[in-house]
Amino acid sequence: MERVLRSAQMAEITLLPVRHHSPACAWHVHKMIQLLKPSLVLIEGPNNANSLIPVMMHEDTKAPFAIYYSYHDKAQRLSEKAAHYKCYYPFLDYSPELVALRTAKESGVPALFIDLSYADILMASKDGQGMRSEQEKNNYSDDYLLSRNQFWERLCEQTNLRSFDEFWEKYFELNGLAESSDLWFSHLLDYCKMVRENTPLEVLEGEGSLAREAYMAQQIAKAAHEYGPQAKILVVTGGFHTPAIQKLLEEYVSNKENMPKTVEQIATDNQGVYLLPYSMEATDALNGYASGMPYPGFYQKVWEELEKNNEIESKLPSRTDCRVAGRMAIHTMEVEDFHCKLPSRTDCHMAIHTMEVEDFVYEEAVLAMLAQTGHDLRKKDEQLSVYDEICALTMARGLAALRGKIQPGAYELLDAALSSLVKGEYSLATELPIRLLQERMTGNAKGKLCHKADVPPIFQDFEQQCALLRIKPDSTLETEITLSVFSNKKHRQISMFFNRLLFLKAPFAQRIKGPNLQLKKDRNLIREVWRYKWSVEVAAALIDVSVYGSTIQEAAQILVKKELEKVNNARNSVWLLTRVFEMGLVDRIVPVYEQVEETILEDTDFYSLADALESLLMLEELRGLYQSELEFGQLVLLTIRKLVVLLPSMTQVKEESVTSCMQALKLIYQVTGKKNNDAFEQEREPFFDALSVMQADPQIHPGLDGCIHGILYGSGRQKSSVVEQACKGYMKGTKEQMMKTAAFFRGLFYTARDFVFVQKQFLQALDTFFAEVDKEEFMELLPELRMAFAYFTPMEIDQIAQEAAALHGKDKDSLMQAQAVLPDWYAYGNKLDHYGKEKIWQASRKH
Amino acid sequence: MEQQSMIKAPVEIRYREELMALEQTDDGRKPENWRMSPKAVRTFILGSATPIQYEGKEYTIRKKYLGNDALVERCIITLAGNRGLMLVGEPGTAKTMLSELLSAAISGVSTNTVQGTAGTTEDMIKYSWNYALLLAKGPCREALVASPLYIGMEKGILTRFEEITRTPAEIQDSLISVLSDKVLNIPELGDEGFLFAKPGFNVIGTANTRDKGVNEMSSALKRRFNFETVMPISSVALEKQVILNEVQQLAYENHIDMEPDEDVAKLLASTYHELREGISSIGQRLDKPACVMSTAEAVSVYYQTMISAYYYGNKEFRMEDLVQNLVGAVAKENKDDLEKVKSYFNTVIREKSKEGGIWKEYYEARRWLK
Repeated sequence: MERVLRSAQMAEITLLPVRHHSPACAWHVHKMIQLLKPSLVLIEGPNNANSLIPVMMHEDTKAPFAIYYSYHDKAQRLSEKAAHYKCYYPFLDYSPELVALRTAKESGVPALFIDLSYADILMASKDGQGMRSEQEKNNYSDDYLLSRNQFWERLCEQTNLRSFDEFWEKYFELNGLAESSDLWFSHLLDYCKMVRENTPLEVLEGEGSLAREAYMAQQIAKAAHEYGPQAKILVVTGGFHTPAIQKLLEEYVSNKENMPKTVEQIATDNQGVYLLPYSMEATDALNGYASGMPYPGFYQKVWEELEKNNEIESKLPSRTDCRVAGRMAIHTMEVEDFHCKLPSRTDCHMAIHTMEVEDFVYEEAVLAMLAQTGHDLRKKDEQLSVYDEICALTMARGLAALRGKIQPGAYELLDAALSSLVKGEYSLATELPIRLLQERMTGNAKGKLCHKADVPPIFQDFEQQCALLRIKPDSTLETEITLSVFSNKKHRQISMFFNRLLFLKAPFAQRIKGPNLQLKKDRNLIREVWRYKWSVEVAAALIDVSVYGSTIQEAAQILVKKELEKVNNARNSVWLLTRVFEMGLVDRIVPVYEQVEETILEDTDFYSLADALESLLMLEELRGLYQSELEFGQLVLLTIRKLVVLLPSMTQVKEESVTSCMQALKLIYQVTGKKNNDAFEQEREPFFDALSVMQADPQIHPGLDGCIHGILYGSGRQKSSVVEQACKGYMKGTKEQMMKTAAFFRGLFYTARDFVFVQKQFLQALDTFFAEVDKEEFMELLPELRMAFAYFTPMEIDQIAQEAAALHGKDKDSLMQAQAVLPDWYAYGNKLDHYGKEKIWQASRKH
Repeated sequence: MEQQSMIKAPVEIRYREELMALEQTDDGRKPENWRMSPKAVRTFILGSATPIQYEGKEYTIRKKYLGNDALVERCIITLAGNRGLMLVGEPGTAKTMLSELLSAAISGVSTNTVQGTAGTTEDMIKYSWNYALLLAKGPCREALVASPLYIGMEKGILTRFEEITRTPAEIQDSLISVLSDKVLNIPELGDEGFLFAKPGFNVIGTANTRDKGVNEMSSALKRRFNFETVMPISSVALEKQVILNEVQQLAYENHIDMEPDEDVAKLLASTYHELREGISSIGQRLDKPACVMSTAEAVSVYYQTMISAYYYGNKEFRMEDLVQNLVGAVAKENKDDLEKVKSYFNTVIREKSKEGGIWKEYYEARRWLK
């Protein structure tokens, strides 16, 4: 066995390559530990998590859980940013590493993690590579290494399989379960060696693989010396690293002076390591974190079946014994020449063979998944018969046979459901069976930690805050609380606390009612209604952000800064500021302000800036109510200046953006007109200058033209005669210009509807205009006209109607009077209506 | 039947030797009455890397259906089971070809077919009578005219039902009892009037999703089938390969001694692919034409261009012909479609024409888009 290293001075070392989430691998690791009975089990994993092993092994701790590693680079060893780093190392019941730990504990053997600490791995990796890649979640499990180069693609082509995962399932899971553990590990090692050979050296170096392997080899060698030649050591490492570790150790054994070199290690300060309850969804590779095999729910079922079989088996004579006994029996039969009376030798061999693979664990899992999906479907009132499920199982078996697999696996299960459970064309309307099956295959189990699990300081802060604010932190029943945030200081504090938790994505409290500053909705409400309850996810989320600070406030502050770095426009940065406002973050908020200022300066999108201005003004207005010490004046001023600079280029806006542009104009006009603020007032002149420039553009959108005319008229900078002239210009222009009249009015009425009442001759002109356009043109103008007149209040409409009626010698009441209908006519119409309805009803029933 | 005397020979004749070699060398387990094992059927349709040795000759089995291998496997297993197989999908996605390949491999015959139309009646599906014999001898087996379904049941072979959704729903439903009980009742024959299906019998139906509105299948009938949705080919390279394979076959059948041009096939495949998906290879959004942009259509456009080149163009492909044929294929139902193709040329092809070569010629031929 080439994975075993022997030497006169050292313990015997057996290296087991593994894939991180694989039931067959876990199964064989379990068997190997039982078979070899080692004195020590060493496992790949950052060594600063060794203290967590007892908690991981505690009977109340339930998988899935993850080890959470964090590092705050305060000393700027990695970069000048002094950034925060974190990564996860998820464990499922069938993770070989966890099974190794559990089996070692059962056998009373010590087990340890032997990789570099998390910070050291970061130090050994180059920026942007390995665990320092820029992605949402970094994972310690590096199964992607086994399937990232062209090598496996060729393999899949050759073996008619669709993906690496299907290849793995066929050869290493399904067929692999029937193999002896020794053979299984040799196959995996061969595969890993080929992948390794196809990986360039610079990649290995950049990702820190070389440094880690050297360190692990060193740890193994040290332990082997310590335990002495009588002992046996079993080492479980990711398959990708095993060949390298093996090579290093072999070199060491042949030349003892040369202990594998390792990198210089940095102290464990500023590093955090905690256990985190995890979920199947998060573990599913399909969700994008490439943390191992897809469909964890399915493989969990397979693992449970395997364990069930194991229990039964442990009560029976071992399989090897059976086999030997079987062979001996056959042998004896031959000698005694009982051939004719006994089953043939082939039959006996077949029987033995059947015994080996009798544990049809995969088929059991496939069957269970199909039955559960059927159950789920029926609950959703889908028509699905038991016969459909039978057909699906038959299909799965048939496909397995056709594809040369011993049992149907995940891919046969999916294919079978697609074929037998989906009725009709596969589309959004019919895909429900597949969706439900995939949900089942992903699984919804959530992990749990025992009470001994260490918690980070942020978690203690959470409990302290809850005590301080008299909130029950551990109630699993939902509690509703109404907060008078504007009148009660403590209530405001609770609201701030809840908002901070929300921002940290800890699902503790949920706002049911209250003002929504982000959407600028429900601002009239003076109370907030929240519902809160404790769940494991709260702990998971808090541990997840523990790298950012030891208190909730601190973590929220750092995360705001981090979020801001991702934001690249004024709208979103101010949106984030509204959340800061709700969270009541005041300390150390200057950098946040600077960041927002920068995004505003860099933003050249008029609408984004206009939105930002609206939100900033709202915050400024609400400061008193929320008792906030934050200042927004400077940001408002900056935004106004930016908007004024951009204004002249906004003349030819698209139809759909006219309204927002008009809103922005009106807003700037109102803000710069405020008497109590000199700084704002100073912007008024540049604003009017910009408006004049806009007006000078002959191609200006009529709506904006009207809007600007209104503003200039309202501010007394333009005489009514100029506005009138502009109106006439449109009304009496060529046909195309005339059709823009309504849009012009819309803009004008938006900013200066009083113009209608002040200038008596305006209505007269409008009346003449209506008389001049023909019916078709009028109908075309009508929608925009309706919009234009919608800005008037009902009282004003009434007044306009009165004046319009007077132009035709009538009063406003006569406009409302309609001619009465004769009763007979009405009855006839009614009858006709019913008849039509009946006919349509009958026709639709026929079809 | 001599292959060369037919415009298009059935699959079992076209691939007679391959089928024979596979049948004779097959050592897998066969469902009753199947000509070969499911594994050999798979090899026949999806090809094999290693050639088969039979009677001193080597047979390389070419891949005949490109696209989705798992779908073919599911089809084979479905046919070995108790349910019928229904292939649904857009027109021109090779549903019929797949059903022919399956029938030829499994039953040795692909011509036992019901062609579904709006005028299909129940007796075309079950049986009708030879009235002269009926009058002379009364109702007897001799006077009965068997339908393909009847023949399938009697001999234990596959029956293909093309375009099932074109037939009225009540006619489709006559399949229900046959598929579930595997028995056909012929009351006219009295006590002998039961035809029990022999093992090996099954039905492969095809249905276009575009015809869905015409005659929706009843849910009772749907339950008797396993559905397989055949999607258009998802990669340009594969589509190019299909075009080349099909055109080669057509050219061979019609004695056109000319090799297809791979670059032109790639160009056409990418045009069809991009217009069908509504997005170009570099991510430009495109208006999708309403007409069917299937691979089969691309094959016919290509083949027409090839014929023009063969008879008029000294065996040289001309982009003008290609564009003209493209117009003929696109502008069928809706005038707007041509406008969409024009704007496709003005954006995507213009961009690609910068590469020069045939892309440039293709772009220059856009004047024929009218």
